[in-house]
Amino acid sequence: MHPRRGRLLAGLTGATLLSGVGMATGFSMSASAQATYEIEPRAPEYLYARTCGYCHGHNIAPIIRGRALPPAVTAAIVRSGMGAMPAFKPTEITDAELQALAEWLAQSEADPEEHGG
Amino acid sequence: MSNGFSRREVMAIGGAVASTAAMTPLARARMMPQDMDRDVFAGVVRELRAIVGDEWVFADEASTISYRKSGIPDLRGEHVPSGAVAPANVEQVQAILALANRYRLPLWPISTGKNMGYGMATPASSGQMILDLKRMNRILDFDAELGTILVEPGVTYQQIHDYIEDNDLPYWVDVPTVGPIVSMMGNTLERGVGYTPYGDHFFMQCGMEVVLADGTILKTGMGSIENGNTWQAFKWGYGPYLDGIFTQSNFGIVTKLGMWLMPRPPAYKPFMVRSPNVEDVAAITDTIRPFRMNNLIPNGVLIMGALYQMSMFNRRADLWDGEGVIPLDVIQRHARANDIGMWNTFYALYGTDEIIAAIEPILTTAFEATGADVLTEAEMGGNPYFEHNKTLMRGGMTLEEKGLVRWWGRSGGAVAFAPVAPAKGGETIGQTQLATEIMNKWGFDYAPAYAVGGRELHHIIFLMFDKGDDEHSRKAEQCMEEMITRFGERGWAAYRSSVSTMDLVADQYGAANREVNARIKQALDPNHIIAPGKQGIA
Repeated sequence: MHPRRGRLLAGLTGATLLSGVGMATGFSMSASAQATYEIEPRAPEYLYARTCGYCHGHNIAPIIRGRALPPAVTAAIVRSGMGAMPAFKPTEITDAELQALAEWLAQSEADPEEHGG
Repeated sequence: MSNGFSRREVMAIGGAVASTAAMTPLARARMMPQDMDRDVFAGVVRELRAIVGDEWVFADEASTISYRKSGIPDLRGEHVPSGAVAPANVEQVQAILALANRYRLPLWPISTGKNMGYGMATPASSGQMILDLKRMNRILDFDAELGTILVEPGVTYQQIHDYIEDNDLPYWVDVPTVGPIVSMMGNTLERGVGYTPYGDHFFMQCGMEVVLADGTILKTGMGSIENGNTWQAFKWGYGPYLDGIFTQSNFGIVTKLGMWLMPRPPAYKPFMVRSPNVEDVAAITDTIRPFRMNNLIPNGVLIMGALYQMSMFNRRADLWDGEGVIPLDVIQRHARANDIGMWNTFYALYGTDEIIAAIEPILTTAFEATGADVLTEAEMGGNPYFEHNKTLMRGGMTLEEKGLVRWWGRSGGAVAFAPVAPAKGGETIGQTQLATEIMNKWGFDYAPAYAVGGRELHHIIFLMFDKGDDEHSRKAEQCMEEMITRFGERGWAAYRSSVSTMDLVADQYGAANREVNARIKQALDPNHIIAPGKQGIA
């Protein structure tokens, strides 16, 4: 099961904690609630938002969207962690996910909201 | 080039891509486990593949590239792994341990391998095989009444954050400064800290599952009670409390970890105390301490040095292109231009508007008496330095602190030194003076932060250097050694260290400590297959 689907199964309702937030109903996830992501590859946009985009386009690292970066270069940099960038292992992003991410990045439009570092 | 990379870099990267296919497995002898013949290692690799599948064993120059990356100095290749193996479950971990015992294969466990400033995924000595637990990435249990979570090693703070948001669970997760890509288990086992009221991560840990070197599965605390349901509710169990010996440790491999989560408060208000002078850190520390002890300030407070902050969003050349270390007046000028002081202290209040309104004036009066400005969202909203800590103090996701790694330029390089001390003003002045003297002598900028717990403080010093320059790396290594040694002479020792200085720091904790650790190690892992050298334990 993909984590995102697992989350939907939680089905919690919010109520109040202190004065106004949440006293949840009694509930405990089952041990099978989340499986590894190997079942279902994560989309490039999802990966970009949850990893790359924290630095690239966010003051810390160069903008990489809208620059037609060759996919092979992107893939090599992700695996090796060129310079100050951390390396990302096949257990963090599979070869197939990385290939899709690198191709998406090569085709992506620049985001005017982003700023380089 | 228009893509932001130089032609030379693209050529080099392209060459690396092309060459990976032609690489011969086991190409580099120095990566081999000590005392293991190449043909034996090749046989071990074949057996590992039979356990986890071909695609989850990495044993050549190209496929291990991600595991070799670190930002610390390693001029002599002393932290180069022989390869990596990534099991999918506890049974595979047990099978790998049996194999490792049979062949005396040293294994270096990692969760996500993002131990920034301390060596990332790299081992204490070359030749160890990385035991990459990232594939074990399930949130196994989330008790929404108790606010407890049970996670596997590969679960990142981002994953937990998303889980909470997607299910509208009334909790916050406390994060270290690089939360999105870091494992909750990894950070907690290294006894890392965060910045909400749940900032002392190991204090908030409750129950763990450990696979011992002989394959035994130990569940600590209440975890082994038949039909039990209290594993994540009560920490101490019965008899000796064992969880501690598996943190910063090589006595076993932790495969499940329980944690407590902070109930999401109805109201949250972050504050920044702006202090203009370097020596103000003493008065600030003495002001924080009683409020941390009586819990009027409930969260992990950060006293951030201006240069530490500015190193996140700037490169060194943006501030200074002159000779030597950056002069104080230059730092002060840039700090003022960014609306920050030489020290900027971040705390927050949580609860209801009424609770916050009652406490706020007490704290504001106390901090203003030190000569500082006490600022809030009203004055600082949108300022990137304020926004950074505002995010951290509510457990938000940010990687901005990665920026300091490229302070000296594109090659990057940063190694952390984190001595602890009592939370007293005189200690901060003494540590700041000593660190400044040593770092400036070696040509490095002193970029500090103090994280104040209840009665202690962690002095976080990132020694930023240019890893692309061997001479600079050598100086960084020597500077770090001098800092550890001379701080030690004053009675100040690190709470954690990079893989390159573990023996040095372990020595400062004394022969008896080392001997007891060695005896426990011998009893639990007589073949020394789990992370030899970790925290100086062979």
